Amino acid sequence: MSKAMMDRAALVVLFAGLIAAPLVLTAFGAPFWINIIAEIMIWSLLAASANLLFGYVGLLSFGQALYFGFGMYGVALSITHWGAGFWTALVIGILAAVAMAAVAGALAVRLTWHYFAIITVVFSLIFYFLAMSSKSITGGDDGLSFSAPPVLSFGKTSLTLADPVTQYYVIFFVAALCYLIKALIVRSPLGLAFEAVRENDRRASLIGINVYFTRWIAFVIAGALAGAGGALFALFGRYASASYMVYHVSGEAVVWAIVGGAGTLLGPLVGAAVLILFRELISGLWENYLLAVGAIVILVVIFAPQGLMGAWHRIGRKPDAQGDDAPAEAYAEPPR
Amino acid sequence: MDLVFALAINGLVWGLIIALIALGLSIIFGLLDVINVAHGDFFMVGTVVGLIVAERTGSFWLALAIVPLIGFLLGLVVERFVIRPSARLASLTIVTTFGLSMILQEGVRATFGAQPRRMAAPVQGTVPLFGVDYEIYRLVAALFSVACLLLFFVFLNRTKLGTWIRAVRHDHETATALGIPVVRVCAFTFALGTALALVGGAIAAPITTVEFRTGVDILPFCFMAVVIGGLGNLQGTIAAAVLLSVMEGLVTSVADPTMARVASLAVMCAVLLVRPHGLFAGATR
Repeated sequence: MSKAMMDRAALVVLFAGLIAAPLVLTAFGAPFWINIIAEIMIWSLLAASANLLFGYVGLLSFGQALYFGFGMYGVALSITHWGAGFWTALVIGILAAVAMAAVAGALAVRLTWHYFAIITVVFSLIFYFLAMSSKSITGGDDGLSFSAPPVLSFGKTSLTLADPVTQYYVIFFVAALCYLIKALIVRSPLGLAFEAVRENDRRASLIGINVYFTRWIAFVIAGALAGAGGALFALFGRYASASYMVYHVSGEAVVWAIVGGAGTLLGPLVGAAVLILFRELISGLWENYLLAVGAIVILVVIFAPQGLMGAWHRIGRKPDAQGDDAPAEAYAEPPR
Repeated sequence: MDLVFALAINGLVWGLIIALIALGLSIIFGLLDVINVAHGDFFMVGTVVGLIVAERTGSFWLALAIVPLIGFLLGLVVERFVIRPSARLASLTIVTTFGLSMILQEGVRATFGAQPRRMAAPVQGTVPLFGVDYEIYRLVAALFSVACLLLFFVFLNRTKLGTWIRAVRHDHETATALGIPVVRVCAFTFALGTALALVGGAIAAPITTVEFRTGVDILPFCFMAVVIGGLGNLQGTIAAAVLLSVMEGLVTSVADPTMARVASLAVMCAVLLVRPHGLFAGATR
């Protein structure tokens, strides 16, 4: 079986597995896990956002939680203040994140290298502090609770999120749509431009790619992915809180993206799944399980910088001469 | 007016302590090109170890002498097993140090406990200072920080090792060609930066709360100082730490502390966009 066929088979198995999961889990009497998988899909969108920037465009953002937070508050505020319907609220949440990413990105992508990582943290910290202190609007640390509107109504019957299985399929539908759009983008000419900019921005600009615009559009798309995750998370928990905008949440997204495999389509899902399942299984047994998470992060970066999906892709492939694991000199000079 | 003055003095004292920690961050960045996200947690480890050693031995001053040694050893271990293996990709060190920060915080929570504690100042009492009764210990802490900063610059400019550090910072390749053990100098510098963070933690322990999360608040402030001062510009870092801290103290007299922090972040944002090499770039470049 060729590599491409194996990939496709794995994708089909994953897709079918996610569709069948609620039925199987209910049959086995473990409905608790339905919500865990739903949560994994939501958080994987935040990881996908960090992954798009780092893996495809080469910009390490430590501030994606900001756009996650805008997605959350877009949903929460539009439902509580305007009585928005389910899909309207979802779209408003994503648009809020996109608008913020468009403004922040226009400034942030002027910088690269470490400066980019730092300014993304600065933006998210500014809005984190603002959200924490304007309690009348955001609820600050306590957050805002609301009741989710029905997903669809036909006359008297309506589909609501109160049923975990319905909720699961709604989240699955939106997340799958996000991954589909992401897949189409990275395979498009724009996606090739992303990779050209990542590999060598000077050469990319010499062949006529507008480097600034390419980075900006990637930043906006990443904002939309994070916003979709935040909007879904708000609807999932019927709750929005400023505490999700802190930089530790952004850091976790980067960790999931890198453990899963930067620059791979499903890496974020794999990374989020592995680490969230690890948390669910271990945290009950061992209070200080974060010690192990920290160690895993360090070990993955040192020994498998391509992540789990990168390791999967490498199985069966000939080792390439100028491969990514060619030993490089420790303490290389910073580009000036 | 007295209140404004007290807040400004507080800002100055705190700024001098932060300068010590930010200086550690700055030399690590300048030499190794590593953004150390765990630096705030090194500070936190300093407060915790300082408290424990002072309680066990009964002498705060002994703790202040021991903590930097522990920090130096911790730095050597971390550099060898976390930083050096991941240093070939600069942006990945942000991720490994993030993992390190998880380990440090969780490790302290597991051993020291999650309960915040306070440490009694080794020097009690107040002195009248321009009409305000000011805690003596804070002045002692500020003087100690100034002494450490001076000592650091004497070391950097007057010793062979300091010259090596400056040479490596200037040009890795030439330094290697001249026979300077670059990797060992890098390891030493990381350990020195860690020791600065820990000693800053020990001296700040009686002023702040001692718990596993303290580093989370300190880190953004240190980064602001390092960025506004110019990445890798040591004197700039110190000036920026003091300026920012005094500014936050003054803003706190008219608005709440959160707004003061937002104001500093806005300043940092402007500096990053307009003068990415720092406020004082013209002086050194």
